[in-house]
Amino acid sequence: MIQFVNVTKVYENGLRALNNVNLQVAKGEFVFIVGESGAGKSTLIKLLLKEIEPTSGALFVNDRNLSHMKRKEIPFYRRGMGVVFQDFRLLPDKTVYENVAFAMEIVEASRKEIRRQVPAVLSMVGLASKANHYPGQLSGGEQQRAALARAIVNNPSILIADEPTGNLDSATAREIMKIINMINHRGTTVIMATHAKDIVNSMRKRVVTFHKGTIISDQEKGEYYFED
Amino acid sequence: MKIRTWRRMVKQGFQNVFRNRIMSLASISAIAAALFVLGLVMVIVMNINNMISDLESQVEITLFLKTGANSSDISSVEREIKSWEGIKDYQFISKQEALNKWKEEWGDKKYLLEGYHAHNNPLPDSFHITVQKPEYVDGIVDKASALTSVEKVQYSRDVVNTITRIASTTRLFGLALVGILVAMAMVIINNTIRISVYSRRREINIMKYIGATDWYIRWPFLMEGMLLGLFGAVISSGLVALMYSLLENRLSSPSPLEGNLLAIFRLLPLDQVIYPITALFVLVGTLVGMIASLLSMRKHLRV
Repeated sequence: MIQFVNVTKVYENGLRALNNVNLQVAKGEFVFIVGESGAGKSTLIKLLLKEIEPTSGALFVNDRNLSHMKRKEIPFYRRGMGVVFQDFRLLPDKTVYENVAFAMEIVEASRKEIRRQVPAVLSMVGLASKANHYPGQLSGGEQQRAALARAIVNNPSILIADEPTGNLDSATAREIMKIINMINHRGTTVIMATHAKDIVNSMRKRVVTFHKGTIISDQEKGEYYFED
Repeated sequence: MKIRTWRRMVKQGFQNVFRNRIMSLASISAIAAALFVLGLVMVIVMNINNMISDLESQVEITLFLKTGANSSDISSVEREIKSWEGIKDYQFISKQEALNKWKEEWGDKKYLLEGYHAHNNPLPDSFHITVQKPEYVDGIVDKASALTSVEKVQYSRDVVNTITRIASTTRLFGLALVGILVAMAMVIINNTIRISVYSRRREINIMKYIGATDWYIRWPFLMEGMLLGLFGAVISSGLVALMYSLLENRLSSPSPLEGNLLAIFRLLPLDQVIYPITALFVLVGTLVGMIASLLSMRKHLRV
């Protein structure tokens, strides 16, 4: 479903963020992308979201070569992916319900669909009772739940999580991981970039470790890889 | 896009306008000022054009005879006139009659002309010709100019030409000024949109990740620009209408001295002027707002 073929990314300032990366992720897989800051995790995510282009190599998602995608097609491509970030990125002047409904409005879902889908997703992430709260009235964990609800409300086939637990304490992080795991069990492919060693080690999922732009380890049911 | 989505775009456009009021106000004033000047130009040009077509439909020609023309000269000119085609009527006005008429027209100021008498009368003898149709004017003017005892042929086209020159000069300078003001308005609207984009940057960023199309993101800002232009158009039409009706009132009750002077300035009725002007304002206003907005987005909204 996702395939990186000899992907290299060199930024304009000369920084070689990814170096000849080959990576394959099957449908429904759960993959941790780990590595220290600057290892290339963010670049990988940006490439997947088609925010940037690889310098060389090819990137396929659902059998489509992203380099051959027209500009006009990018929004529709992104609708197949849900994204969550470390800083949640909720709109502060909209309630939780409105934040999630906003994602459906953008893809021009019908009002009926929105009214059916939003409460369902909110109760799935355990936020049904806070639907009318504003992000400022929520804890960090609750905000990330809301962000997750927004990410999956349009039923994407891939969930991309960029340090989703980075701002959360470990108990809350575990709660969030439960939800992400649940989303994965529904058949959504999950790509999660993280620093959180405890989480990676407790989940027993595939772990791909980056170091200075190259993959130095790729393990099934792996652990956080230590550099000496 | 769905109707509901369009409604959303319009609503967001309004929100943008009201969210940064100060800049919106500046934009609206700038566009209103530009349109107001455009309105002045249009008012002047429309009225002048009207005056011209009035004058053109007048088919009067005046032949001024040379000073010292004697009675046989006068009767030979009269014979000529009688032979021409298209003459509806003609009247001979002797220099004495002209002087009397002049004194009459000046009413209580006629003492100023008291020094003029038959022996030093500065006015020439003249024939006033009324032509059947405007088409005959040119031929008659040619023939009349060829007569030896005719000093000068005056007809409405002379006046028309002068007024036409005034109109085109007004149009030229007026439109240049409008151009400058429109450019200024565009710079201000451009900045307003930039600020609007900046204040919505988080939202825009999220929309991109969720998969909003470029135009879904752009439309609210385009609406904002168009609304700014539209508000400017409404305000400036109001101002032009107000100014015009004040002017109309002033001209419809002139003081006795102004009477003669203003007689030729017969203003077009307000509704004949204000509807085309408002239509043009709305068109130009929204277009300017739209273009400024597009330019701003090209630079500041990376979608």
